[in-house]
Amino acid sequence: MRLKVRMKFLMWTAAALAAATAATGRSQTNQDQDKSIPASKVERLNRAPVSKEILRVKLPRPVEVTLPNGINVMILEDHRFPLVTVQFDIDGAGPLYEPANQPGLAGATAQLLDEGTKTRTSRQIAEQIDSLGATLSASAGFGSGAAILTASGLSDTFEQWFGLARDVLLHPTFPAGELAQYQSRAKPALLQQRSQPNFLANQTLSRALYGAYPAAVVSATPESIDSLTPAMLADWHDKHYAPENTILAISGDVRAATLIPKLRQWLAEWQRSKASVNFPAGPPPATQGKVYLVDRPGSVQTTLLMGNLAIKRGDPDFPALVVLNEVLGAGSASRLFLNLREEKGYTYGVYSNLIARKYAGPWTAGGDLRTEVTDGAMTEFLRELNRIRDEKVPDDELGAARRSVVARFALSLESPQQLIDYAITRKAYKFRADYWDKYPAQIAAIKADDVQRVAKKYINPATMQVVAVGDANKIKTVMEKYGTVEIVDASGKPAVEGSKSTGAGLQ
Amino acid sequence: MRRFKILCTFGLFLGLGIMTTGIVATPRPEPRPADAAPAPSVQIPIQQLTLKNGLRVVLSEDHAAPTVSLCVTFDVGSRNEQPGHTGFAHLFEHMMFQGSQNVGKGEHLILVRVNGGDVNGTTGDDSTNYYERVPANQLDMALFLESDRMRALRINQANLDNQRNTVQEERRLRIDNQAYGRTGEILEDLAYDNFAYKHSTMGSMADLNAASLADVAQFFKTYYAPNNAVLTLVGDFKTPEALEKIRKYFEDIPAQPASPPVDMTEPVQTAERRTVIEDSFARLPRLDIVYKAVPGNTPDWYALDMLGDILFGGTSSRLYQKLVKGKGVALRVAGGIDLRRGPALFQAFVVLKPGQDAEGVEKLIYEEFEHVKTDGVTAAELEKIRIQNRLQQAKSLTNTLNRARTLGRYAVYFHDPNLINTSLANYSEVQPADIQRVARQYLGEAQRTVVLTIPKPQAAPAR
Repeated sequence: MRLKVRMKFLMWTAAALAAATAATGRSQTNQDQDKSIPASKVERLNRAPVSKEILRVKLPRPVEVTLPNGINVMILEDHRFPLVTVQFDIDGAGPLYEPANQPGLAGATAQLLDEGTKTRTSRQIAEQIDSLGATLSASAGFGSGAAILTASGLSDTFEQWFGLARDVLLHPTFPAGELAQYQSRAKPALLQQRSQPNFLANQTLSRALYGAYPAAVVSATPESIDSLTPAMLADWHDKHYAPENTILAISGDVRAATLIPKLRQWLAEWQRSKASVNFPAGPPPATQGKVYLVDRPGSVQTTLLMGNLAIKRGDPDFPALVVLNEVLGAGSASRLFLNLREEKGYTYGVYSNLIARKYAGPWTAGGDLRTEVTDGAMTEFLRELNRIRDEKVPDDELGAARRSVVARFALSLESPQQLIDYAITRKAYKFRADYWDKYPAQIAAIKADDVQRVAKKYINPATMQVVAVGDANKIKTVMEKYGTVEIVDASGKPAVEGSKSTGAGLQ
Repeated sequence: MRRFKILCTFGLFLGLGIMTTGIVATPRPEPRPADAAPAPSVQIPIQQLTLKNGLRVVLSEDHAAPTVSLCVTFDVGSRNEQPGHTGFAHLFEHMMFQGSQNVGKGEHLILVRVNGGDVNGTTGDDSTNYYERVPANQLDMALFLESDRMRALRINQANLDNQRNTVQEERRLRIDNQAYGRTGEILEDLAYDNFAYKHSTMGSMADLNAASLADVAQFFKTYYAPNNAVLTLVGDFKTPEALEKIRKYFEDIPAQPASPPVDMTEPVQTAERRTVIEDSFARLPRLDIVYKAVPGNTPDWYALDMLGDILFGGTSSRLYQKLVKGKGVALRVAGGIDLRRGPALFQAFVVLKPGQDAEGVEKLIYEEFEHVKTDGVTAAELEKIRIQNRLQQAKSLTNTLNRARTLGRYAVYFHDPNLINTSLANYSEVQPADIQRVARQYLGEAQRTVVLTIPKPQAAPAR
């Protein structure tokens, strides 16, 4: 067993130590909002035996090599199980680079890679992959600049299924019949997406935050799907699948020393191209808050989602925002969960989320709540957002949040896939080689002042975009209390008539 | 083994809690190429014993990473519920996080989270489990938290009301506000006659509203006794030390009289059952066809599981190639048999493309079933399923929490946690003739239940 995550238990700082057993510092001001529900308070007895030590981690480093055609190869050996996972991360081939009138082109190209090559039909590829004890799939998710091809399988058939993965990556033919079938599935899939409140909320918030920027796009359109031709897919593949923009990450039961020469040989035919990856500049954050209402008649819940644009992944404020997010809403010990679920009983779960990529992503907060408490939930969201801006996070609560982030990071290293994901992130963002080694110390150094500073900088209820998906007949008046309401339809477009109404601004 | 399941179990949190009834890590014997010696199978070391109070303990050391995964699986699920009390096993699961003698409301979640761990509980038809994965040096904390609530749950009306609200939101989130949300409930209700599986794990709003503190106390006493549970621990510990700690925290919890047995017998179905439901949120028709079959871990179950994979597993499967690719009538097709202690459901599920004739698609499915009954399946098809099983098995074992949960499920369902090491051998026993036989035996017209979910014409949107 070569892969062994090296971790030690070290004494944590006194502050964090106290934090592990102290109360969260929950505000006591949030009670009595809804007289119909008796107070159900989170309570800490501090009697459980908690070790004062915390894991310190040193990640195993993958073997890295750049092939002559520019592919960045990373190999992480792990011989515990007879498995290998392979991921091609092809920058420049993702939807961020799509022409504005072709949403879905990058995704269609990726998904049709395994529907036919110069030497294999779609069915042959499916039969062979399944018969080798492997899996193969490719995708290009909206919001991403990359296409991803992933294959995994048993190590004793690795060379065979890797050959199949290589074939679909390098020699796809995009047969017209397969494309027609894809189109006939993709359009009804759009319909299905639009029945999901979470999709509707994401679609609307993305448009509100990003406007004309490509990250605003979260799905294809029926028109863009109809317009696809095999030639367009082949052209996209030709121009955007470039070895010099590709990270090839391999983890599992392989030997790097013997695999690297083979990779040189197997992938030699993939020629460098003139593909340039010019990253489009992101939009500025909104200057005015707005409320969007997606009418979903018959809904018994309101799906709320709100946020501001914040930072790029490489921003020095990233660690402070991670800690802020842990305090605010990342999990079951966070303020939003404890307040809106454990004390108010409004919801099955409310969370906040920090998204940081090569362009500025948002922090968001939201959840699904029964229609009748939409107003109460908005009040509590705003209370928590304002509180984290206006008040310093108490030391014990801050220490608990830092400890949570650091310990969870250490625990995540149990998974080989997670290790390779960290390595890809480091490579993709051009972070220093010891980035992840130092990450826990960066988190541990975050002070209450840092959290408050980034809260004031990035969390702004006055300029926040708010989306509510629900039954407009029941919640429109409520949402008008929180800003100018625009009603949008399931396609994300402004509803045709009487869609605007004016309400009070967010406090 | 590539399980798609229509009927979910329910959990404490979104994201973590959704466990389909069939996500079962079946362990890993080897493919047997005719001309090669069998490859060494992945074997998980297991030590089993029973404490004085009847608590069964299963330990499996793994020192790859300094983490431990603890799972306590109770032999109770919605199958134990009586009419008028549907949804109670799941509501009770939520109450287990509302405080015990030495742990405050919500403190369990906070402590595990603050120390970097994962925590959740899930309730299904056949069992309820509680689990956490924590750094190895927090083993005492995890054992303390689990033992305190097994010993002395502390509950009050406010917390019951609070979690009743939370569970009702879970119902709205997963069922009442989702496309096809009610299909699974209606399907089970129609297919089963025995109340145990006939009613939904999530339960009705009315029954949830009726649940009382006295119900909670009685349920705890009856089902949450150490002699009705299995504790599984996987990860970075030394067995003698871990065992000493487990005895310290658990062995003095008093045993209780055995819980009442559940009658799982299902009368023979003599005619096809069928219904059509309108769904306010669905945009495309969906067809569900199920057949009641046999309990898990029986020879016929393994044969039906392989038949399910031949028909529905992956893009090379017969019905994917026929309905999604060849005829192009379906957006999605999935199916297979679920894993139950009682009669499991062999299921087929198809989302139709717009404008497709549901009756015609249904016939295409039966046509493929008949094809198996008449012409059987090939040895190559079985070999493909075996190697895919081997892959799925190895993948599922990479995660210690998965292993702890699987060991618990096998111990409670089949009294055999070592199935994690032996069950793949059961797939190796299945021959093409067995597949043909079970198709003939279980997939008959009179044995099936069919639910067609169609989009309800939409109301005019508000302005």
